[in-house]
Amino acid sequence: MRKLVLAGLFLVGLIWAIASFSGLAAQGTYDRIVLDFREDVDAAQIEQQVQTIAQKYNVRPRLNSEFSQPDHLYTVKGDKALLNALKHDLKQYTEYVEPDYIYSIPESQDSRVNVSIGKEASPIQASQAPNDPMYSQQWNLHSINVESSWQDTKGKGATVAVIDTGISEVPDLKETSFAKGYDFVNDREDARDDNGHGTHVAGTIAQSTNNGFGVAGIAYEATLIPLKVLSASGGGTVADIAEAIRFAADHGANVINMSLGGGGESSAMAEAIDYAHKKGVLVIAAAGNSGQNSASYPARYPHVLGVAALDSSGQKADYSNFGAGVDVSAPGGSTSEENAAGGILQNTIDPSTGESTFAAFQGTSMAAPHVAGVAALVSASGVKDPDEVAAALTQSARKVQDDELNHYGAGKLDAAAAVKLALKGKITFNDFFQWLRDSGYLNPRFWIDGGVVALVPKLAMVVGSYLLAFFLRNYFPFAWSWSMASGLIAGSSGLFFLKGIYIFDLPQAPLRVMGSSIPELGSSIQGSGALNPLFASVLIPLALVVLLLGHAQWKWFAIGSTIGVTACLAVSAAIDPQLMWLGDGALARGFLIVNALLCYGLVWLAIKPGDKIA
Amino acid sequence: MSTTVNGIIDRKGFGTGTWAIDSEDGQTYELHKPPSELQKKGLKVKVEGKIRDDIMTLAMIGPVLEVQKFEILK
Repeated sequence: MRKLVLAGLFLVGLIWAIASFSGLAAQGTYDRIVLDFREDVDAAQIEQQVQTIAQKYNVRPRLNSEFSQPDHLYTVKGDKALLNALKHDLKQYTEYVEPDYIYSIPESQDSRVNVSIGKEASPIQASQAPNDPMYSQQWNLHSINVESSWQDTKGKGATVAVIDTGISEVPDLKETSFAKGYDFVNDREDARDDNGHGTHVAGTIAQSTNNGFGVAGIAYEATLIPLKVLSASGGGTVADIAEAIRFAADHGANVINMSLGGGGESSAMAEAIDYAHKKGVLVIAAAGNSGQNSASYPARYPHVLGVAALDSSGQKADYSNFGAGVDVSAPGGSTSEENAAGGILQNTIDPSTGESTFAAFQGTSMAAPHVAGVAALVSASGVKDPDEVAAALTQSARKVQDDELNHYGAGKLDAAAAVKLALKGKITFNDFFQWLRDSGYLNPRFWIDGGVVALVPKLAMVVGSYLLAFFLRNYFPFAWSWSMASGLIAGSSGLFFLKGIYIFDLPQAPLRVMGSSIPELGSSIQGSGALNPLFASVLIPLALVVLLLGHAQWKWFAIGSTIGVTACLAVSAAIDPQLMWLGDGALARGFLIVNALLCYGLVWLAIKPGDKIA
Repeated sequence: MSTTVNGIIDRKGFGTGTWAIDSEDGQTYELHKPPSELQKKGLKVKVEGKIRDDIMTLAMIGPVLEVQKFEILK
């Protein structure tokens, strides 16, 4: 009878699940059509077909992105009638002609979908594209999901100060709003650019968009304050930069972008940043391009949001600094002499002629203005306090699992999620350590990464090991002792909070080792999230038990660690079975379960009935 | 304080490009307003100069070296 009820319940569940599942086709909407030409059709023929359909149906087919050329992948605006017509016309030239479905995540779901280990949430796909003809080449704007955020705000009312090489009013900045700036290099009001860098950075933040020309920017209705501190050769003094920060704070900036860095610690600069912070300005800076552990100044000062760079595949760009001081990551691109398409494309000036040009640059310099642009969107959504804007940016970022070396900070920038969070107005401060550091309880040479440790599994491991010890105590009464307790911690979780502490300019590996439990030790130096099967097994507990069983006190450390390792392996098997060489599938899970059972057996053998310590 | 760097001149692709020297010990220095003789990729040089701690740059590739003396090596 019981079996029948269970089978019935299972069936009801199954039917409900099938009934409530809606396939993509059922809810897919589209206003574009994808044309994939066959690889064996030559380019001239494809070009001819594209021209023919352009004339016949009065449409503008274009390559889906800069990367679509080898695949001959075109998109064209159109509906079902056009879809059927094109299917008919292009049958012999194409692999497929199909709707370009717009995928979206329903409103009720959290936009920061945490997918299992090793993968990350993909951005919500966008809806309405601006009419800037080169927009399709801006992979970076697609990857931060900016289109969805434009439904709520385009940055109107927010002001961003660009502390850089100045800004020249190139054609694609004609419709952008500017406030009065200053040139601290030549000491004059006209802060025009003689290098090309500042104009490019300004373009990412607020390029004139939907103007039928050139490229798009992020917060294109925001106001820019041009502040020139770097000379034509690309360098500038800390004194000028500190002055520019104060100028921005005194002239109504909500956000400051500094795509610059280097030099040493300067109290003038630190004070200027504090001044801006107190006046309600969020300061954003590039992490630096030397590919090293720790961000450069000014990104590493307190109250500055440090930004690392991503390439077009979403990985940390080779040149980007990482580790201490990196709060969030954003597209910075990666260009080579042969291929500029991996860079960030904006309108700027050619410094040799002063003429307008569209150029693809790379660098954390390009990553920071993405964050500044989204900060302007958040600010325009009504969140003004700089700490709250920063929290909206970091809490909405797409988390990257297993970011042991802090390549990505809180995660990858997501404009739509940040604006949604800002509009909900529920920004919470849960970063206790950040508060500690900012309040001066911790030495400023330390930096805390709040996001590095997944707290829930760690707590499950500690609690699990204690429960296990408690359970065993019913059978084999023993007294709690310090050696037992330290064994439980060492075996299960380690002093895991140490993993989140960084010291500027020093390798983080020692802290990672100290913060690791016994099973994690085998992979902690290289900072991998996968466990080393030699360490995540019964081997070390066995060695400890064999060596220490004769010692009255240390024996309990061995038993405690064996119980701890049992809990750690069991929790890892359940939540996150990732092993070096063995992958993260059934094999790894089986290995962890078998070893957890072996450890458990070892505990039974090691605790003799009635064995007590004084 | 003067610093001497032996290394190879390179043009780093940040912004519109930046002159740098990759030293033999692996450190990259950004050259601050280098003389035109040094603006040649692949040149093996010995440069004596001053590390400018008070300067920040858009390239952010390493310490900023202001050239005081240089010698082109074969």
